[in-house]
Amino acid sequence: MPDIDFQQLTDYAKQFTGLTKEQEDILIELSQEIKPYLPRITDSFYEVLLAIPKAQPFLEGRVETLKQTHIHWLEQVFSGPYDANYSQAMYHVGDVHVRVALPVEFMVGAMTLVGVRLTEVLGEILIDDPSRLNKATTAVTSALGFTLMVMQQSYESSRLSEELDKFLKITGMSRTLFDNLASVYK
Amino acid sequence: MREDMLASILSDLNGTSADIEASAVISTDGLLMASLLPANLDEDRVGAMSAAMLSLGDRTAQELARGELEQVLIRGNKGYVIMTHAGTEAVVSVMAKSTAKLGLIFLDVKRASEAISKLI
Repeated sequence: MPDIDFQQLTDYAKQFTGLTKEQEDILIELSQEIKPYLPRITDSFYEVLLAIPKAQPFLEGRVETLKQTHIHWLEQVFSGPYDANYSQAMYHVGDVHVRVALPVEFMVGAMTLVGVRLTEVLGEILIDDPSRLNKATTAVTSALGFTLMVMQQSYESSRLSEELDKFLKITGMSRTLFDNLASVYK
Repeated sequence: MREDMLASILSDLNGTSADIEASAVISTDGLLMASLLPANLDEDRVGAMSAAMLSLGDRTAQELARGELEQVLIRGNKGYVIMTHAGTEAVVSVMAKSTAKLGLIFLDVKRASEAISKLI
C-alpha cells in the first residue's frame, strides 16, 4: 500500500462531502432502526449486480461471502467513526477491487445503487418525520460520498502503480532508475 | 580514489578528440559516478537520462532481435550523444559535436568503457 496520510485523506474527503460530526451522530442514532433492513438492501444490491453481465464474472461462487462483507460495511456506515481507520479500511477495499481488475465504473455505480436503496428504506422508516428524513438522507449521501471518494483515491493510486509497473517492464528500467529520473524532473 | 581514476579515464577520453564536448560515467540506476561536463549541463539529468536511454536501448535491441546492445546513438542538429555500457553496473555517456567523425569516437568510447568496466 502506498505511503498515504489517512488523516489528511479523511479531512480532505470530509471537506468535499460535507460530512460533519452532527451527521455522524444522526447515522449512529439510526443504526438500530435501520439494522433489520440491511440484509434486504444487500440482497437487492446483489440481485441487481447479478443481472449485469459484465459484473457476473466477479460474483460467481462468491455472492454469499460478499453479502456478509457488504452487510458488515453497511453496519459501519451507521456506526462510524469516519476517521483515519475507516479511511484506511475503505482504501484497502478500493485496492482489492483494483487487484481483481474490477471496472472503474462499478464503484460509482454500486455506491449509487446503495444510496438509492438506503434512501428508499429511510423513506419507509422515517415516513412520519420529514425533518429527520431530510437530515438522515443528507447524512447518508455525505457518508457514501466520503466512502466513495476514499475508495476512488486508492483506485487511482493502484491504477497508476500498475501502469508504472507495466512501463518499467516494457522499458527495462529499474524502479530505482525511474525514481532517480523522476526526482531530477520534480 | 575510484572516482579520481574514473575522472582520469574520462579526461583521457575527452582529450582524444576535440569533437568530444563532455563525458560521464553513470550507474545503471542513473547516479553520476564521475563526469567532465560543461557548466550548462545538469549532472543529475545527464545521469538519469543516459541510464534511462540505455535501458530502453537494451529492451529495444532485445525486442527487435538485434542481439546484445552495443551503444545508443542520438543525433541532434547540435551534436551527438553516445551511450554504451561499461560492464554490467555502469554507463558511459559522451556528447560530441555535430561535425564529429563518429568512427574514431566510437573506438575511443569503446576503449574508455572497457577501462571503466575493469574499475567497477
